[in-house]
Amino acid sequence: MATPESLRARLLRIEGLPINAVLLILVAVFMLVAPEVFLSYRIYMSFLANVPPLLVLAAGLTLLIAAGEIDLSFPSIVALSGWVLGYCIHDLHAPWLGLVLALAAGALVGFLNGVLVARVGIPSIIATLATQFLWGGLTTVLSQGLSYSLSDVDELFVWTLFVGRIGPLPVQCLWALGVAICLWFVLNRRRFGEHLLFIGDNVKVAEIVGVNPKREKTRAFVLMGVLAAFASVLLTLENQNFFNTQGGGYLLEVMAAVFIGGTSVFGGKASVVGTVAGSFIIVMVEAGIVATGLQGFWVRAVVGVVFLAAVVGHLFIQGPQKATTRRRLLHGKLGLNKGGEP
Amino acid sequence: MKRLLSIAASGALALTASTTVHAEDKLGAGITMYFQMGGNPGDGATLPRTNGARAAAAAFGLSLKEQYSGWQPETMLSQFREALAASPGCIEIMGHPGSDAFASLVADAEKRNIIITSGNSPLTKLKDQYSASGFGYAGVDLYEGGKLTAQKMIEYGGLKKGDQALEYGLRAQAERGKSDQGLYDTLVAAGLKVDYIEISPEVDHDSSLAVPIITAYLLKHPNLKAIGTQHGNVTAFIGKALKDAGRKPGEVTVGGIDLSPSTIDGLKKGYISVSLDQQLYLQGFLPVVQCVLSKKYGLTGLTINTGAGVVTPKSIGALVPLIDKGIR
Repeated sequence: MATPESLRARLLRIEGLPINAVLLILVAVFMLVAPEVFLSYRIYMSFLANVPPLLVLAAGLTLLIAAGEIDLSFPSIVALSGWVLGYCIHDLHAPWLGLVLALAAGALVGFLNGVLVARVGIPSIIATLATQFLWGGLTTVLSQGLSYSLSDVDELFVWTLFVGRIGPLPVQCLWALGVAICLWFVLNRRRFGEHLLFIGDNVKVAEIVGVNPKREKTRAFVLMGVLAAFASVLLTLENQNFFNTQGGGYLLEVMAAVFIGGTSVFGGKASVVGTVAGSFIIVMVEAGIVATGLQGFWVRAVVGVVFLAAVVGHLFIQGPQKATTRRRLLHGKLGLNKGGEP
Repeated sequence: MKRLLSIAASGALALTASTTVHAEDKLGAGITMYFQMGGNPGDGATLPRTNGARAAAAAFGLSLKEQYSGWQPETMLSQFREALAASPGCIEIMGHPGSDAFASLVADAEKRNIIITSGNSPLTKLKDQYSASGFGYAGVDLYEGGKLTAQKMIEYGGLKKGDQALEYGLRAQAERGKSDQGLYDTLVAAGLKVDYIEISPEVDHDSSLAVPIITAYLLKHPNLKAIGTQHGNVTAFIGKALKDAGRKPGEVTVGGIDLSPSTIDGLKKGYISVSLDQQLYLQGFLPVVQCVLSKKYGLTGLTINTGAGVVTPKSIGALVPLIDKGIR
């Protein structure tokens, strides 16, 4: 018969359990304090319509961060691919061509990022910061600074396929779920994912055992580019509008979703399941706090407190190893007393 | 008014002349002007200003240097320092950082005979101090703009004492927040119960992120009668939030600002009731006129209110072709 400890250990082996527990606790708290909002299906449909672009971006970034890299250019890919799609729909009346070209544009930008980082050797934070400016600026040049209204796009099959509604359910949430499941398999069941984690953990050892970091990193950047383009497709179709500056607000939110979800900032450890929960927390928190009736300038501060509580709660649920670290920190012995626990 | 007419006449003359004279003969030839455009290149609240400034620069033969700050006051200050370092003929600044923040920099520019003028958000103290040397203002009186939006919301939606309203704005920003303050004060003065939520920096950058927040508020307050904002891109997404919350067009009176494509759709479908039209094109065109005339002829600074009206579902149709070109 299992002891309570072994049961806990077995539970904690379930990927992303702590952060999903935090998500459920948050939903429960919001249901208690704002039942008229969080017991209504409409708010969940709104989340399911608005979380997918962020989730797709965050899931893609999870793989890159697993390999010890970062991509800061994805907001500009969202803008660029959105323009490509918007232009094809608005001016050429060719939505399917737009879809293909938008994804191709994302792949191309991702490939160039990969070349700059993996082949030329520029640190990814610098290379992708530069390409963020480059592709964002180019989007403005190409669009002549104009936004496009795509108000009639909901009459097209491409809209129904990607962001239509099954009853009240937004279709894009199924696409986002599909992307998350595929990326989970890639990360946990495919050699490519294993290589990324290996590279993120120790690139030299990875090379010794036959992994090709240049090739794998380039592939990861291409994948990120395609996913950013796909997120842009969902965003543009859902908004029925191309905004020249779209994607600009996602940078910090996407990174927060990845890190809250338990992916290591140093690489080598990543959780797609955690990222999915992190994405929902990020989008839900401010809406939830507003629904509690809090007003004015306090909302932002309380959002910060809830994020902090989520991360701390995550650590506390996670287990004895983290608890030991916490105790050491509390006793001021970390790095001072190599003897370990008192 | 006479001054305004004379400026318009000068502008018209210059435009006419521009078709027949060489670039070097134009009134603004040889003048370089740094121009703070406000937001990001191409956003709905910036593009018409850019286009207006470019058109005036082309008409007068002036060399225009565009600066974009993403509406960040600290960036506006650092861009002003960069502009000063280049010693141009004129600099147009946004008023968002406030008079005190700009005071020493403007004093330095005045000593060096650089014409400074302002737009979009007024710098009243500095304008009073330096108007003799060409310091003008082209823009809406922000507080009055917010007030006008609220008045039209009340009129359009038949809002009355005791009705519940939400203001979703940027009151934390000293100057820009004045328009939100005007809107808020006017609704409160009319007896409405007004809640206030501050727009986060993420929503400020990508306003699609506002949708779940507004949706949650709408579900929490089923009796809500009105939503007001003075953020152009947030205005564009209120219709979507209303739809997500199951509200029908016209059920909630919405007052916003500017005329982005989504706002136009919202007006056409009846989700948005009134939108303040700042006539941003004028906010680009007129400071260039101010610069050239002050530099060449020493004319004093002018205060021009560029927007005194709102667009409603009834009046939007005629404006659409101009909006599509980034002029309105």
